[in-house]
Amino acid sequence: MNKEGMNSYSDTVNELLARYGVRFGIYKNGTFKEQLFPLDIIPRKIGQKEVEYLEKGLKQRVMALNEFIKDIYGEKKIIRNNVIPEEFVYMGSGYLAQCEGVCPAKEIYTHISGIDLVQAKDGQWFVLEDNLRIPSGASYPMIARDICRKSSPAIFEKNAIYENRNYAKMLRKAMDHVNVGGHTVILTPGRYNAAYFEHSYLAEHTGAHLVTGNELVVENDHLYFVDYSGRKEKVGAVYRRISDEYLDPMNFNSESVIGIPHIYDIYRKGNVSLMNAPGNGVADDKGIYYFVPEMISYYLDEEPILHNAPTYLPFYEKDMKYVIENFDDLVLKDVAEAGGYGVVFGQGMTKDEKERFISMLKKEPRRFIAQEVIDFRDIDIFEDGEKVPRKADLRAFVLMAEEPMVWKSGLTRFSRNPDSFIVNSSQGGGFKDTWVLENDLSPTIL
Amino acid sequence: MAILSVEHSDQLYWLGRYSERVYTTIKEFAKRFDSMIELREHDYDEYCKAQDIPNIYSSKDDFIKRYCFDESDPNSIHANLIRAYDNAVVLREEIGSETLAYIQLAIYAMNKAKSSDAPLIQLQRVVDNIVAFWGMADDSIDSESVRSLIKLGKRVERIDLYARMNMGHSELKRELKRLNTRIGRTGLRYSSVKLAHLNYLAEMENTPKDMIIEEIESLFDEDINTLDGK
Ligand SMILES: Nc1ncnc2c1ncn2[C@@H]1O[C@H](COP(=O)(O)OP(=O)(O)OP(=O)(O)O)[C@@H](O)[C@H]1O
Ligand SMILES: [Mg+2]
Repeated sequence: MNKEGMNSYSDTVNELLARYGVRFGIYKNGTFKEQLFPLDIIPRKIGQKEVEYLEKGLKQRVMALNEFIKDIYGEKKIIRNNVIPEEFVYMGSGYLAQCEGVCPAKEIYTHISGIDLVQAKDGQWFVLEDNLRIPSGASYPMIARDICRKSSPAIFEKNAIYENRNYAKMLRKAMDHVNVGGHTVILTPGRYNAAYFEHSYLAEHTGAHLVTGNELVVENDHLYFVDYSGRKEKVGAVYRRISDEYLDPMNFNSESVIGIPHIYDIYRKGNVSLMNAPGNGVADDKGIYYFVPEMISYYLDEEPILHNAPTYLPFYEKDMKYVIENFDDLVLKDVAEAGGYGVVFGQGMTKDEKERFISMLKKEPRRFIAQEVIDFRDIDIFEDGEKVPRKADLRAFVLMAEEPMVWKSGLTRFSRNPDSFIVNSSQGGGFKDTWVLENDLSPTIL
Repeated sequence: MAILSVEHSDQLYWLGRYSERVYTTIKEFAKRFDSMIELREHDYDEYCKAQDIPNIYSSKDDFIKRYCFDESDPNSIHANLIRAYDNAVVLREEIGSETLAYIQLAIYAMNKAKSSDAPLIQLQRVVDNIVAFWGMADDSIDSESVRSLIKLGKRVERIDLYARMNMGHSELKRELKRLNTRIGRTGLRYSSVKLAHLNYLAEMENTPKDMIIEEIESLFDEDINTLDGK
């Protein structure tokens, strides 16, 4: 495509994104603002061989993580066998004592997983993080694909690209698989949530009802949706987009006004499914991430297919020493933060800041992890009529039904800033569609 | 199967009302605007009276600017459009992204009109989008109760506005007739006593405006005593 073509394609695509209100919300100085999530028209392309590799690795990883959560709230073999030190499990904010002994329908905890990956310059993929609580972002490539196909049918005629709008079908399958009888609903905190667009879009495309907490009640040990005529309809599965602590004021944070009193009690009895399972935070803690390769060997007796970024736990003395000595080459992450907050690069700090950080590290070694900075690949973006390279990561989605299913697409986020590695949307980044090609990488137009 | 919560049925009804309010007030404003271009400075006085809104405006220009475009003026057309949007945006899975998009487009058109020298042209685009919204809603929404709730809101609002604006007897009668056929399809509880009274009032030559407004606005009140029992 020539420059004019790209310009007009980009304009059309972004106009349609505005038409459909494709936004995400952010809080700035205490007020809620919605901004358009800019789409870059140049997609990330993943070839057939590569996707087969990723698919295997992702399935393996999610299976092991699911086993881990089951084990932690059950037998705790992995702790007893000294594979993971118990302080890492119980001290993390994601561990919930309330989940002890609770087993969800079909032993599935990780119904929807968002695995963040980057690809290094030599082509090697690294997992940066496993999001197992409420990973968001799948709706954006779905609607982007829809819009792009309308805006330039020719591109899709000439390239054999896997459909990605089937995400809704996959999600529906995952919902139906654990539904214990009744309707399926998507529970949203409300329209002032950052991901409200996604909640409503997924509801539209899965046919599940979008509800807020006050539209559901627990009665006689079951969950009901109350119809406007007063009729009560049983609910068998809740894809909840509110976090554990706000889910049920009777069992978790008692101040919560967006949750449903007693929903956790009936979940415990197996009378409703919650997706994802409460307590998953124990496995997507940035500290636990370090142990995922060990989990894979331990539970599945397999070699890990996907690699972690080389990671250090200042909790171990040896690692602390390494971190202090190599501070400039590392990226440090606060295990309790997300959304790109609490991620700092040693290199960018002043001497003073470093010293302060290191003393904090010594005081609270469990609070941080350190990683080698991965010089991950740039992907071109189209900006002001030019192609310019920018850092981009990939969030891959794995859904669980009978078998784990890997979505043949994903959310590629990029940094708008040429010098930055931080791609998070809350930090001003944009997104790209992710094409999985039916053949191996072949020359394509874009 | 379409199941609707109280919240959503409420939002559908108000989406119908606010979309109608924007539509009819723009049309009414457009009529007046023409006469205001070179005519009497205080024509808007009368307009406010007819619309039953407080005249808080200091001049013709102030009126045009604030009545049309000031989001913080609760009686402005813009504020009403935002209310329509606030209801629509939480109804995506009921009304569909395609239908919702027209309310979004109306918002963009309104913002454009605000900074335009010839606001009527852009306001016409707002109207175009509202009409497209209604058309798309009618065409693409499968659930009869969902469609009917929007339409019911539209009818109720129109009757209210027509009464306020002293619109002719025959227009009112026409709208009431449409309300009568629609109301039963919504599944909403309403007062059939009040509806019968409204039908009676509309037959009168000098339609008593205040009574009509009172009855239409309380048609769905909670503690209603319906003829058809509980
Ligand atoms: N080891 C690393 N090398 C280079 N860049 C990194 C590294 N780790 C993180 N980043 C950059 O920082 C971003 C945020 O990192 P990470 O995903 O760990 O944080 P987060 O706060 O959990 O963000 P989110 O929850 O939105 O995924 C990554 O997407 C990546 O762009
Ligand atoms: Mg991340």
